[in-house]
Amino acid sequence: MKIGRKRKSKAEIPTSSMSDIAFLLIVFFMATTKFDVKEGIRIVLPQASEEGAEQTQTLTLTENEMTRLQITEDGRIAVNNDAPRAFESGELDALIQQKVRINQQMIFKVITDREATYNEMIRVVDRLKAAKIEKISLSTN
Amino acid sequence: MANFQKKRSRDVAIPNGSMSDIAFLLLLFFMVSTVFVQEKKFWVERDRWPIAESIERIPRNHTTTIYVMRDETILIDDIPTRIESSEDVFVSSTLIRKKADDPELVVCFRTDRDTKYGVMSDVMRQLQTAETLVVAFETQQRHN
Repeated sequence: MKIGRKRKSKAEIPTSSMSDIAFLLIVFFMATTKFDVKEGIRIVLPQASEEGAEQTQTLTLTENEMTRLQITEDGRIAVNNDAPRAFESGELDALIQQKVRINQQMIFKVITDREATYNEMIRVVDRLKAAKIEKISLSTN
Repeated sequence: MANFQKKRSRDVAIPNGSMSDIAFLLLLFFMVSTVFVQEKKFWVERDRWPIAESIERIPRNHTTTIYVMRDETILIDDIPTRIESSEDVFVSSTLIRKKADDPELVVCFRTDRDTKYGVMSDVMRQLQTAETLVVAFETQQRHN
């Protein structure tokens, strides 16, 4: 009887689908990667004035040059010397547009009460930014 | 008589033996360059930020974040602090150091929307002292 010798089969790891797996992983990473950017309202603060500095100038601005928006503790807004009242966003937009029609370079000074919420200040600055106002001053009383 | 031999047509194939090497290189690049940003335990939840419409995108490089809680606690560089008087200069001294490391520093505020403005005003005064004048108030996008 003839006994056939068993042929040794070569042991191999199949690598043909390796690139498919790798590309799948790449697609996964590309799809899930989130470029983390922050979103918010950007403001450039003025430089701190040194007390007694000689180059400090005092300017007197009229209502046609600067509008004061004074935010009270309860979130009402006083425009220049008017009595404070509640403003809806639409009303605020209309007011800003009205002031800009008087002077394209109008400066808006937002004076927020120390007891008012940060949200109220952001609400006003947001409307100013929406109206493309560049000259915004932030202060408190 | 000339003998015209029929040309053998060769099989045209793009070599794809190194495809998996390239793919793994790309994969390694993504894995190495991915940075997982871990938020602080002490932070202001996103849903506590104010909502705004006219927001800008601020790239994360050159930024540092100051958290301001509703109870007026300020967190800068993982260190909680408070501004009780004008002598508390921790914020300004930290920012002076940061500004020296990165002159294009942008300070981002993550502030609870119900925080009183007074504390924000105090922090901004310290920013002016440190001459870090570019600030961003982080907000949520208003969805109409």
